[in-house]
Amino acid sequence: MTSISEIPSLDLDLFTDDVLTDPFPIYERIRNAGPVVYLPRYRSYAMGRYADVRAGLADWESFSSARGIGLNDLANEATQGMIIATDPPEHDQLRDVLASRLSPKAIRELKADIERRADELVAPLVRQGAFDAVNDLARAFPISIVLDLIGLPQNGRDKVLGWADAAFSASGPPGPRTDAAFPLLEDQLAYLSSIEPDQLTPGSMGRAIYDAAAAGQIRQESCVPLMSAYVTAGLDTTINAISNAVWYFAHNPEQWDLVRQDPTLIPSALNEVLRIESPVQFFCRVATREVDVDGLRLAAGSRVMMLYASANRDERKWEDPTRFDVRRNPVDHLAFGYGMHGCAGQGLARLEGHSILAALARRVERFEVGAPVRRINQLIRGLDALPTTVRPVAETA
Amino acid sequence: MRIIVDEARCEGYGFCAEAAPHLLELDDEGDLKVLSEEVASGDAAQAEAAVRVCPVAALRLEP
Ligand code: HEM
Ligand code: SF4
Repeated sequence: MTSISEIPSLDLDLFTDDVLTDPFPIYERIRNAGPVVYLPRYRSYAMGRYADVRAGLADWESFSSARGIGLNDLANEATQGMIIATDPPEHDQLRDVLASRLSPKAIRELKADIERRADELVAPLVRQGAFDAVNDLARAFPISIVLDLIGLPQNGRDKVLGWADAAFSASGPPGPRTDAAFPLLEDQLAYLSSIEPDQLTPGSMGRAIYDAAAAGQIRQESCVPLMSAYVTAGLDTTINAISNAVWYFAHNPEQWDLVRQDPTLIPSALNEVLRIESPVQFFCRVATREVDVDGLRLAAGSRVMMLYASANRDERKWEDPTRFDVRRNPVDHLAFGYGMHGCAGQGLARLEGHSILAALARRVERFEVGAPVRRINQLIRGLDALPTTVRPVAETA
Repeated sequence: MRIIVDEARCEGYGFCAEAAPHLLELDDEGDLKVLSEEVASGDAAQAEAAVRVCPVAALRLEP
């Protein structure tokens, strides 16, 4: 009789090199154990099934972000006031400032420029024939776009990338990896604090944050955390998505043929890359009250990992979830989260992804890749290097 | 059944309009227009699909 509402406990370590390299078998165990499981090592819970993660993200009143989205107190403390770590009403004020610059309507005018930048980046790489799809393509593209949009001064830009990666990893469980990442998160915040608003390009997204504070829409103290949201959230996520796309298309050439033959599949193809290799593996929520999770009773105060990456491969939701299928069009995947905190930059991320895939589809017939080098990070999943050679399409060769 | 847009949350992704062209539309400005708040019984599936694909949960159905 007791068992019905007891949450299964699994003594798993999710943060070893092996698991971070291939987390999917562990996610499957979590999904199969129950709608929510207890992970004693982290004194936290985890949800891995699509329906529960989605329902939890929708119910922000029961699952709060305001006590931090990470697995250690230090990071949860340091990220106080950042948009991902707020609830309404504070969240909505911050979100309005970002959405006024990031919503699809706001970025419509960027489309032509981003498409041009994609062509200018891809054309010489294809002519060259061999390149590192991570460094030369996936990193080069969002860095130039996002840092220009934020309007950051040129000096200091080179460090931003290392910081952004670490700002994610700093939210892992207490331990050496978190200890190594945390000072970099602090460096990032110190660098952003040192920038004067008038050093930001007039009209840029960064400048708009300071303008909003000057206009009294948000508090002055919110400026640096919002800048950090752009710099952190806008880089490695998109970088991983682009390199994962090349990796998957190299291994699934027939899927690349489909995209080349019918470029209207590009939005679906990007969704499928994001579904099968979700750049953000999880963020946490804290239960504000006792919650019934599919018949299991989760106590108030429980910290819960929302495993987006697991939900996106849940066999309860997706047919044959490990099959990469560009025609699947999984529009309701959770790689951008869902609901109130659903990625504020997804319009831009999609625009970047679509532009790169379109530029490649016009020029590349086949990708061939060597062994990828994985970049180990506690929250996000992606590659550090992917040696790539391409066979160009005949006309542009 | 009625389809309700939470205008404060809607950011204009337009996936809902693709899913439910009878009910919703993005206008030339990129703003969401509700063509018909009242959902005819034949459009119930469209309405549910629209609610499902909105990435920021800005749509809901009311009886
Ligand atoms: C493929 C690329 C991207 C992925 C996979 C991604 C993923 C995510 C996820 C999973 C969340 C949800 C946070 C939560 O549930 O607590 C999120 C939020 C956010 N993302 Fe993205 N993101 C991407 C690109 C971007 C870009 C390009 C930007 C901005 C330039 C951005 C800015 C944000 C911001 C500001 C939030 C916080 C929204 C809020 O708390 O209301 N993201 N993103
Ligand atoms: S999908 Fe959601 S956010 Fe996008 S236009 Fe429709 S209601 Fe608005």
